[in-house]
Amino acid sequence: MKYLIIVIFLFIVFSLGSAMFYLVKGKGQSQNTVRFLTVRVAVSVLLFLFIIFAAYMGWIEPNRPSFLQPN
Amino acid sequence: MSQDITHDEVAHDHHDHDHKPKGFVKRWLMTTNHKDIGTLYLVFALAMFMVGGAMAMIIRLELFQPGLQFVEPAFFNQMTTMHALVMIFGAVMPAFVGLANWMIPMMIGAPDMALPRMNNWSFWILPFAFTMLLATLFMPGGAPAGGWTMYPPLVLQGGHNVGFLVFAVHMMGISSIMGAINVIATIMNMRAPNLGYLNMPLFVWTWLITAFLLIAVMPVLAGAVTMILTDRYFDTSFFNAAGGGDPVLFQHIFWFFGHPEVYIMILPAFGIISEIIPTFARKPLFGYVSMVYATAAIAFLSFIVWAHHMFSVGMPLGGSLYFMYATMMIAVPTGVKIFNWVGTMWRGSMTFETPMLFSLAFVVLFTIGGFSGVMMALAPVDLQYHDTYFIVAHFHYVLVTGAVYAIIAGAYYWLPKWSGHMYNERLGKIHFWWSTISVNVLFFPQHFLGLAGMPRRIPDYSTQFAEFNMMSSIGGFAFGLAQVLFVYIVWKTVRGGEKATAQVWEGAKGLEWTVPSPAPHHTFSEFGPVDLSKLANGEKFSILSDIDEKDDKQK
Amino acid sequence: MSEASNDQYYVPHLAKWPIVGSIGLFVTFMGAIQALNSQTSITPWLMFVGIGIILWMMFGWFGDVIKESEEKLYSTQVDTSFRMGMIWFIFSEVMFFAAFFGALFYARTFSVPWLGGEGIGLATNETLWSGYEGVWPTNGPADLNGRFEIIDPYHLPLVNTLLLLASSVTITIAHHALRANNRKQTIIWLIATVLLGAVFIFFQAEEYVLAYRDFNLKLSSGIYGSTFFMLTGFHGLHVTLGAIMIAIITIRVIKGHFRPESHFGFEAVAWYWHFVDVVWLGLFIFVYIL
Repeated sequence: MKYLIIVIFLFIVFSLGSAMFYLVKGKGQSQNTVRFLTVRVAVSVLLFLFIIFAAYMGWIEPNRPSFLQPN
Repeated sequence: MSQDITHDEVAHDHHDHDHKPKGFVKRWLMTTNHKDIGTLYLVFALAMFMVGGAMAMIIRLELFQPGLQFVEPAFFNQMTTMHALVMIFGAVMPAFVGLANWMIPMMIGAPDMALPRMNNWSFWILPFAFTMLLATLFMPGGAPAGGWTMYPPLVLQGGHNVGFLVFAVHMMGISSIMGAINVIATIMNMRAPNLGYLNMPLFVWTWLITAFLLIAVMPVLAGAVTMILTDRYFDTSFFNAAGGGDPVLFQHIFWFFGHPEVYIMILPAFGIISEIIPTFARKPLFGYVSMVYATAAIAFLSFIVWAHHMFSVGMPLGGSLYFMYATMMIAVPTGVKIFNWVGTMWRGSMTFETPMLFSLAFVVLFTIGGFSGVMMALAPVDLQYHDTYFIVAHFHYVLVTGAVYAIIAGAYYWLPKWSGHMYNERLGKIHFWWSTISVNVLFFPQHFLGLAGMPRRIPDYSTQFAEFNMMSSIGGFAFGLAQVLFVYIVWKTVRGGEKATAQVWEGAKGLEWTVPSPAPHHTFSEFGPVDLSKLANGEKFSILSDIDEKDDKQK
Repeated sequence: MSEASNDQYYVPHLAKWPIVGSIGLFVTFMGAIQALNSQTSITPWLMFVGIGIILWMMFGWFGDVIKESEEKLYSTQVDTSFRMGMIWFIFSEVMFFAAFFGALFYARTFSVPWLGGEGIGLATNETLWSGYEGVWPTNGPADLNGRFEIIDPYHLPLVNTLLLLASSVTITIAHHALRANNRKQTIIWLIATVLLGAVFIFFQAEEYVLAYRDFNLKLSSGIYGSTFFMLTGFHGLHVTLGAIMIAIITIRVIKGHFRPESHFGFEAVAWYWHFVDVVWLGLFIFVYIL
């Protein structure tokens, strides 16, 4: 489950990078910049919802210091 | 009548173009001109080369004989640390940026650098940064003395100088990043309309790739020294095992910067040599495209080999093996380059002016440094070489007879274009032979010292190392004196001498040789197509640039 | 000649701001060093003077650029140079954060487990830190600064994530509105973005107060405290800068500076904001959740 979250995060970084690339390439007029940006924001929101869901279902556990961990 | 007016306008325009701002403050402090900023960088680098050189003289003086002779061990440590910092960040890197400023716009037909104001700022940060760093020499507690690599926990014991060191490095980093951004924007955005990527001179190519390396790794260094700062002053535990951190973490972050850094200091040198050898062999560069790909390959590999600086620090076996093999792979693209330089000279009608002599020495002596590098890439034997004079010999062969020789070669090569005067060829040849003999007397015996086990950064040594150390010191003093001659030659050439032609060198190709010597204050006032046949590689790859243009049109 | 001037690459002459900026940096750092090295805690007034000089430089420098832009001195080629400058600047920022994320990953996957006796750390653990388990989050085997509680990711950080995500949506809407030449909409959504950013910074400060006062989580709380505060701290600094930049852009929109086809200043700031938002997502995932 951790790895899925990491992969999705990497995808967000990638779409941000792609949008940046088209920012220069298309000189701001390109639809690609806007498209990758929209993808970036949309996937971020989805990832956020997924994390909430995963925590609710108990798939991921939040960090706790070892001396506070319930035994 | 109308012709007269036109003529007048042209004359007036021409006068305007060569108009230099009057007065020191306006001309140098507030300049936006790439040539003036280039000159500032080069003069600054030369000054720092002399400062760092003076420190090296103190080091060699102390090591002339065993026992403590002239300086305290603590001061000796400050000298080794500051010598490295000054030479790397103050001499070699600014010199390359200065050459980039001067040459890249002229080589690609651009009116100036892409971001001229920021260009000024990139330079003017440096004197302040080095004021901050060098001022520590005169403070109680002295300068940083834990080695230029700033390893914790030693560096954290530096007392008051830690803050100066960290912030000086931050300022140098800001300067380098802005300089690199400017180079990238200039090369990618400011080429003459018909100049494709594969028409660019190799110096431009190597600088483009170097600039990417700079932007990728200078911020990482900034992060590493910031952690030093907070560990020293704010009780963080990045490098403190008691808090769950690890001193080795610093070494990983530092060398993730440090290894690309060594290519930052050598790729532009490759570019300079690739300009000079074809000129004096009177042949186009052999294997131009393979040179470009080899440069890119070296840059890529530089990011994935950093831990070969850390074999003796302890890492899992798999890590050692991986870093060993990855490191040895770098020898392949580097070998391609050496091969191509030799191939360029093959059956060329060569002449041996001073820039060519320095370039030839570069090819031979840099290769020696490269070979000792391959030796140290072998993890098991590196445990023997590590932290000895063998590594000192290695990196001085690649940095002095590599990077510095290329800068000197470039200075002789382009000085007539900058100043409008020819340098004294006889003095240039004396400078070359004196330097090359003394530099080998200086550094070659250090291989033997290292193999025999003499550790680096130590002011005193066992008597068994006495002979080679004395030899090395004599070479060092001679080499230092030779560079004073270099300053004299440059000074004399700038002041006057035989007038240089626009072409300067018979076999020289490239746009910079189509403008008069000295190059006018503003070279190209606007973008126009350039004559590709004037370039070394222009005609050969003009088909490729045609395809580029068609691509652009389709879009 | 005058007609063609727009096609020429504009090269400014006599830049006075860079040297002011250099002096500002120098004074700032010297002031910081003075405060850091002093035995007693003093007000770093010299540093504030330096920051003042840098702010003066930025107002002057950007003011000159805006003036030249409004005078239509910049061709599309100059515009492209600015774009390249901005994306490579952002890339350098990404690498700066990468150093700190690298430190976090190294501590979590190598140094802490090794101190706990895993792999090559067995002897170290037995002889030096016997009994230390090496479980993240940790303040190290020496229990530096004592026991601490960590921030619950599903309270303040969750709200903060929502705030920043919403702000990146609002700035995108503003961007679309600007392109559609709808200035009123642009201003409304930009103001919304600034407000969301400001609330984010407020909550972040609240979180720090909570950590220091109630949870005993401090910069000195071992490697967890170090990475937590340095990562979130540098991010918070960037959010603050980004919010100030958006506020300035909003004023410029009100003044009517941007056109639907040419608004690099706006895009650069929007870009910066997207970068800050993605860094936060990384923080939320790797610092707070996983």
